[in-house]
Amino acid sequence: MGDNMKRSGLFTLLLAGLLGFSGLATAEELVIYSGRSDRFVKPVVEAFSQQTGIKVVLHSGSSTSLLNKLKLEGARTSADIYVSNDAGNLQKGADMKLFKPLPAALAERIPANYRSADNDWLGISARARVLVVNTNQKETDFVKSVFDLADPRLAGKLGITHSSNESYIAGVTVYMQKAGEEKTRAWLAGMKRNVDNSVFNKHSKIVMAVADGKKAIGLVNHYYIYRHLDKHPDAPIRILFPDQGKDDMGVAWNVAGVAISQHSKNAAAAEKFIDFVTSEAGQELFASANREYPTRPGVAAATEVPAAGSYKVANVPMADLGKYRNKTLDLIDAVGMP
Amino acid sequence: MSVLVLPHSWYRLHSFVTWRGVLALLVVMAAVIPLVFVIISSLGLDLDGWRGLWSSRLPGLLWNTLSLALLVAIGCLVLGVSAAWWVARRQFPGRRLAVWLMVMPLTIPTYVFAHIYTELLEDRGWLGQLWLNVFGTIPPSLFNIAGVTFVLTLAGFSYVFLLVQDALSRSQQDLEEAARIQGARPSQVFWRINLPLLRPAIAAGLAVVVLHVLSDFGAVSMLRFQTFTLSIYLQMNSRFDFNAAAGLSLVLVSLSLTFLVLERFFRNRQRYYGSGKAKRISAQRATAFETAMIWLWLGLITLFAVILPVTWMMVWSWHAWAHDLITSEFWGYVGNSMFVSVAAATLTIIAALPVALYHARERSLLSQSFLHASSVGFVLPGPVIALGMLAFVLAYLPMLYGGMLVLILAMVVRFLPLAIHAQESAAQQLTPSIEQAARNLGARTWERLWRITLPMIRGGIISAWVLVFIDTLKELPATLILRPTGFDTLPVRIWIEASEEMLELAAPAALMLVLGTLPILWFLIRPSRSGP
Repeated sequence: MGDNMKRSGLFTLLLAGLLGFSGLATAEELVIYSGRSDRFVKPVVEAFSQQTGIKVVLHSGSSTSLLNKLKLEGARTSADIYVSNDAGNLQKGADMKLFKPLPAALAERIPANYRSADNDWLGISARARVLVVNTNQKETDFVKSVFDLADPRLAGKLGITHSSNESYIAGVTVYMQKAGEEKTRAWLAGMKRNVDNSVFNKHSKIVMAVADGKKAIGLVNHYYIYRHLDKHPDAPIRILFPDQGKDDMGVAWNVAGVAISQHSKNAAAAEKFIDFVTSEAGQELFASANREYPTRPGVAAATEVPAAGSYKVANVPMADLGKYRNKTLDLIDAVGMP
Repeated sequence: MSVLVLPHSWYRLHSFVTWRGVLALLVVMAAVIPLVFVIISSLGLDLDGWRGLWSSRLPGLLWNTLSLALLVAIGCLVLGVSAAWWVARRQFPGRRLAVWLMVMPLTIPTYVFAHIYTELLEDRGWLGQLWLNVFGTIPPSLFNIAGVTFVLTLAGFSYVFLLVQDALSRSQQDLEEAARIQGARPSQVFWRINLPLLRPAIAAGLAVVVLHVLSDFGAVSMLRFQTFTLSIYLQMNSRFDFNAAAGLSLVLVSLSLTFLVLERFFRNRQRYYGSGKAKRISAQRATAFETAMIWLWLGLITLFAVILPVTWMMVWSWHAWAHDLITSEFWGYVGNSMFVSVAAATLTIIAALPVALYHARERSLLSQSFLHASSVGFVLPGPVIALGMLAFVLAYLPMLYGGMLVLILAMVVRFLPLAIHAQESAAQQLTPSIEQAARNLGARTWERLWRITLPMIRGGIISAWVLVFIDTLKELPATLILRPTGFDTLPVRIWIEASEEMLELAAPAALMLVLGTLPILWFLIRPSRSGP
C-alpha cells in the first residue's frame, strides 16, 4: 500500500513538473535562435545584456534545423532573432517569409551587397574562402586561382572538406556565379580526382595537415589559418588569396548575419539587438571573436588578418548564396563529390 | 473455387473491446502521429518526384542501409553471443565485473563513439600514432562502411549480450541433461538444444540492434555515411525539401516494418513455456586456461568498447576541470537530461503496457498489427519524428507547445517499441493458466493486473524503463528540435561543443552520460542474478 502511495505521489509530482514547465523564455526576454558557434555568440549576447539590461535566452542549434523550426512554428514561435553563419540560410529564411524587414536606418549601416534586397537580414561579419599553403613545398607555386586546384599536379596534395560543409557550398555557389556552371563542374571533377575520396571533416584539420606537410595546399576559411598560428606560431603555412589578377573574379566571401523573426513579440528589443551588432563596438565584438571581417565600413578586422581592402573580393550579392544553393547542391551531387 | 477464409482471430471482435484493446488502440494512435505526418508530406511528391528519387538516390541508399544493417548485425551477434555464453556458462574470477563491462557501452551514444574514434585515429591521435609506428602506414579511415560498422557494433552489441545472457541463465537444465543422457555431444547439445532455445533472445537482440542501425543518426552523420536517415536529414536541412524527405522516410518505414514482420514470423514459430520449477543451469567452474581465454576475449572487447572511449573522456574532462571550464551551467544540463529521461521512461512504460499485454494475451492479427504500428517511432529518423510531433501539436494542441511535454511525448513515441518489446517478451513467459486461475478465483481485471500480472512481469517493466531511460538520455536529433527554448541537455551540449571542436567541453558531458547511467544499469543486470 505504502508503495502505491509513493508511486502515485511521484506521478503527481512528475505531472506537475511537466505542465508547469513551459519553456524558459518569458515575454520580457529576447529569444535568439542561433546557428552560429556558441562561443562566438555568447560574448556578444553578454555585452548586449550588460549594456541594455535586456535578458537574452540563447537557443543554439544547427542553422538549418532552426530555420525549419521557425517555419513550422509560424506565429507561435518564441524566437525574436535568428542568427546564422551562412548567407544562404538567411536568404532561404527570407524566401520563406520568416523574417520582418529591418528599419532602413539600421540596414543601411551595412553595404547593400551584404544584406538582402528587402532588408530582411543583415550580414554582420564576413569570412574569406582562401588557400592555405605549406611554405616548404614549392610544387604549389603555380597556383594562382581556386580553379588551379583541379590541376593533376596536385594529386594527393590537396585538402578539402566534405561537400556538405556550408562554407564549401557557399564557395562553389560564388564560383558558379562568376565562372559558369561548366567550368565549375570540370573544376569539381578535377578536385575529386586530386583528393581521391579522402576529404577532411573539419577545416582545422586541413590546416593541420598542410602545416604537417601531409598536404601541400588546402581550401579553407581564412580564420582557421590564424587559429592554427595562434597555437603554433612557427607552423610553416601562409595564406594565399586566389584569383587576384586584373581579370580574375577575386576571393569568395560569405557572411554570418542576423534577422528579426516575422512573429517576434518583442520587436523593440530585437531592434535594439540589431542596433547593437551593427554599432561600431558591436561589430568589432561580433567579428573579432572569430577574426572575421566586420561588414560595416570603417570597422577594422583583427590586426593579424589582411585588411579587407587589401585584396579583391568576388562581386556576388550574398543573397545569391541562398538563391542558387539548390543548383549548387545538384551540381555537387551530379559530380559525386565526397 | 476459392473460399474466403478469415483468420480465426478476426471473428473474435469481443476480445478487442477489452480495456487492454481500447487503451492499446489509443497508444497506437499516438504512436503513428509521425507516420501520418510523413504520409501527408509525401503526398506532395508527384510521380516525377518519386521517379527522381528512384533514379538518383534510392538504389544507393537501399544498398548502403541494408548492407550496414547486415554487417552490424553480424558484428553484434559475434560479440554479444560469445560474451554472453562465457558469462552465463562459466564461473570465473571477475564474472560480475564482466557483465558490467559488457553492458557499459550502452551508456555511450553512437555519435560519441564516432567522434572519439575519429579523434583517436587521427595522425596525431593515440591509435593513429600507434598504427603509424607498428604498421608504418597511415591509420585507416572511419569514413566508410567498415568504420560505421565498427562504431555501431561497439555501441550495439550489448543489447544482444543482455538478452542472450538472460535467456542462457534462465534456460533449464532438464533439456540439456536429457540430451546428454541420450548421448549427444556438447556441440550437438549446443546446435540442437541451446541454439533453438536461444533463438527468440537472439532475434529480439538483433531486432533492437537493426532498428538502432536503421534509425541511427549520430554515427552516420558524424561519419557521413549515406544511409536513409542521413539522406532524409540532408533533404530537409540543406534543400528544405520536406516532400522528398517524407518520400524517403516512407521507404525507410516500409523497409523496417518488413524487417519487423519477418523477425516476428521467425520468432513466432516456436514458443516455450517453462514449468517454473525446473532446475536452472549452474555455471561450471572455468579452468585456468579457460579463464585466461575468456578474459583475453572479453578484455579485447572492453578495450575498444569501454576503456579507450572512457579514458579519452576522462583525459579531456581533466583538461576542462583543470582550466576551470566546467561552470554551474553544466550541472543544469545534467539536471535537464535526468529530468527528461526519468519522465519519458516512466510515461513510456505506462503507455507500453496495454499494447504489450494485449498482444501477449491475444496474439491475433490485430494485436500484431498494433505491435508493428507502434514500432513506427523507432524506425523513423529522430528529426522526422520531431517535426511530425511539432506539426501535430501546433495544429491540435497548441497550448502544449513550447513546453517540456512535447519533447517528452516525442521521446515516448520514439522509444515506445523498446518498452513494448521488453514487456511483451516478459509477459510471454507468463503461463496463461496463472491469470486464468486468478480469474476463476474471482479477481477483477484491475486486481489481476495489479496483483498478478505486474508483479510477474516486473523484470520486464524494469528492463523497459532502463532501456528507454538510456536511449532518452542519449537522444539527440529530436531533442535538438523539440526542446523548450534555451533548454539544453547533455547530448545537445556534446553536439554543440563537438561541432565547434571544443573537446574539453564535449568530454565532461559525455562522461556525465556514462556516470549518470551506471547506477541505472544495475537494474538491467540484476534480474539475471536473482532467480524467482
